[in-house]
Amino acid sequence: MKKFTSMVAAAALLGGIAYAKDVKIGVVLPLTGNIAAFGQTSKGGLDIAYEQKNTLSNGDKVKLVVVDDRGDKVEAATAVKRLLDKDKVSVILGEVASSNSMAMAPVAEKAKTPMITHASTNPRVTKDKKYVTRACFIDPFQGAVMAKYALDNGLKKAVVVTDAKQDYSVGLSKAFKKAYTAGGGEIVKTVLINSGDKDFNAQVATIKQTNPDIIAFTGYYPEAALMVKQARDMGIKTPFIGADGVGFPELVKIAGKAAEGFMYTDHFNEAAASSPEAKAYVEAFHKKYNKPADSMGALAADAYGMIVQAMENCIKAGKASDDKECINTNLRGTKGYKGITGVITIDENGNAVKSAVVNAVKDGKFVYKTTVNP
Amino acid sequence: MNIDIFLQQLVNGASLGSMYALIAIGYTMVYGVLRLINFAHGDIMMVGAFLTFFATSAGMPFEVAVLIGIVGSAIIGILTDKIAYKPLREAPKISLLITAIGISFFLENLFTVLFGSTPKAFKAPEYLTKIFHLGNIYLPISVIIIPTVTLLILAIVLWILYKTKYGMAIRALAFDIQTVKLMGIDADKIIMIVFIIGSALAAIGGVFYAVSYPSIDPLMGIIVGLKAFAAAVLGGIGSVGGAVVGGFILGFTEIFVVAMFPELGGYKDAFAFFFLILVLLFKPTGIMGQDLERGRF
Repeated sequence: MKKFTSMVAAAALLGGIAYAKDVKIGVVLPLTGNIAAFGQTSKGGLDIAYEQKNTLSNGDKVKLVVVDDRGDKVEAATAVKRLLDKDKVSVILGEVASSNSMAMAPVAEKAKTPMITHASTNPRVTKDKKYVTRACFIDPFQGAVMAKYALDNGLKKAVVVTDAKQDYSVGLSKAFKKAYTAGGGEIVKTVLINSGDKDFNAQVATIKQTNPDIIAFTGYYPEAALMVKQARDMGIKTPFIGADGVGFPELVKIAGKAAEGFMYTDHFNEAAASSPEAKAYVEAFHKKYNKPADSMGALAADAYGMIVQAMENCIKAGKASDDKECINTNLRGTKGYKGITGVITIDENGNAVKSAVVNAVKDGKFVYKTTVNP
Repeated sequence: MNIDIFLQQLVNGASLGSMYALIAIGYTMVYGVLRLINFAHGDIMMVGAFLTFFATSAGMPFEVAVLIGIVGSAIIGILTDKIAYKPLREAPKISLLITAIGISFFLENLFTVLFGSTPKAFKAPEYLTKIFHLGNIYLPISVIIIPTVTLLILAIVLWILYKTKYGMAIRALAFDIQTVKLMGIDADKIIMIVFIIGSALAAIGGVFYAVSYPSIDPLMGIIVGLKAFAAAVLGGIGSVGGAVVGGFILGFTEIFVVAMFPELGGYKDAFAFFFLILVLLFKPTGIMGQDLERGRF
């Protein structure tokens, strides 16, 4: 009996001593496939944030387990299952495409594991979810910014191009249309495309007939680049406006001169970076990659920073750094987090409330135009 | 739809269709001799586009680069036959089919690992990307060149098949490999020639595709390969002329579905395949195909 008590005492003592352990964050990104640039750039920013801070205040080491889902919904959901069952991660970070995040969210929700998407902007990603948070603004806001910017520039007749395969694009189109018509604009036509398609000549010829003031493109950069090129080849001079899915160097690389003047809303532009956090990140980014800092990377770094902050808060509250419930409560309760992409506050639905920037392509570069606050 | 737009759509359809046709010819020829649906064929097209891209990036003139792409793809074609398919000549056809899918995955992933999977911008020379106006119609020069070259290639392939000794051997192989071997013909050499022709055409198709849609990535061959396969089946798999007809039909269907019903544009692939099913319901061997058990070209 005495022996037993001493064993219990020893165990209690051992438990009391804070042994440094590993806390795992599962990262799901499209590192290959059609939208690989999203995943690659996200990973680039995440790596910088990870290098800057990967040890928690109690000595626990943060470990990243990165899985590639090839930009596929089914693979994304499988990746989350694998991360939960095999790697036993405490938090999930990802995805970029809303469709993929929507496939992942129910899996994380069921396992009561906090998930934060850094870049999925479709409102349905976090809808009715207790464990899903995001580090970016949502499409109704982004669509409204697009519409307002177009209307402010006197462009009152729009054709909307929707990628029927992407929830992101469908949601964004809806948001844009609502804000645009409410602001006095007219939608003359909606044209559907499919991500992965390369030939848009038929759609472009249709758009040409309607002669709009602006083409609101709500899809992603691979299609945007080819479509704007085919439109310019066919003699259409109408300006394009897109959202955060198009602002990638590949847009300019593939479309070349045709990309000139392409406007889009985005989360971040290093030219507008004024906070010390953003400046430090941009500097580290330039040093490591020797190219301009992109928005996906900045968002991923912010999502990572929010997770680390949540873990630190748990430690302060006397809980384990891998306590899923505690991390989730702290993530959902994020207030005034000073991130790279701005000050982030999470609302009651798990969505980040923050500002957006508008950029445009000029001489092959992404030039900052303006910042729009919520 | 006014007449300008209609004509514009017509050339667009012809251009898209001829790219499917070029790739479909390779599918159909390999099927003809080996009864193998070579699922790696779309990836050979990707290889052709990539090799050309690398050669131009290295500073070579475009024409030389294309030649490198064609020769390189032909070599990859020969290698896949020698390494993957030849040991399985006597094996059940299903083993061969699974091997083909394996080769397809291998090529896609090899190129992803080696060169990354972000789309690369394909640079075509000025004379291929020039655009001229015909009234209200804007014609990129490529939409004229591509169908012309395709028809020219079709003529050459048909000439090889029907006017040369090798062509005769290929047609004979399609009937019965064993008998052809007994006649003293080196069947493996003939099969190699089929792979050379098929892969070279796929490479040309790949270069055209990259010129028209200047964004190339290691997975670009999947959907194009699938469409070309559908074109080959539509035209009657095993028939070279049928492959070309099938390719054009598929190209026109895709373009005109979007042109006439822009709201349904997102479902153009579904329409293309629906059309395929419809044709097969009434003519199970495809438009120009004959009984599957008889060899033909």
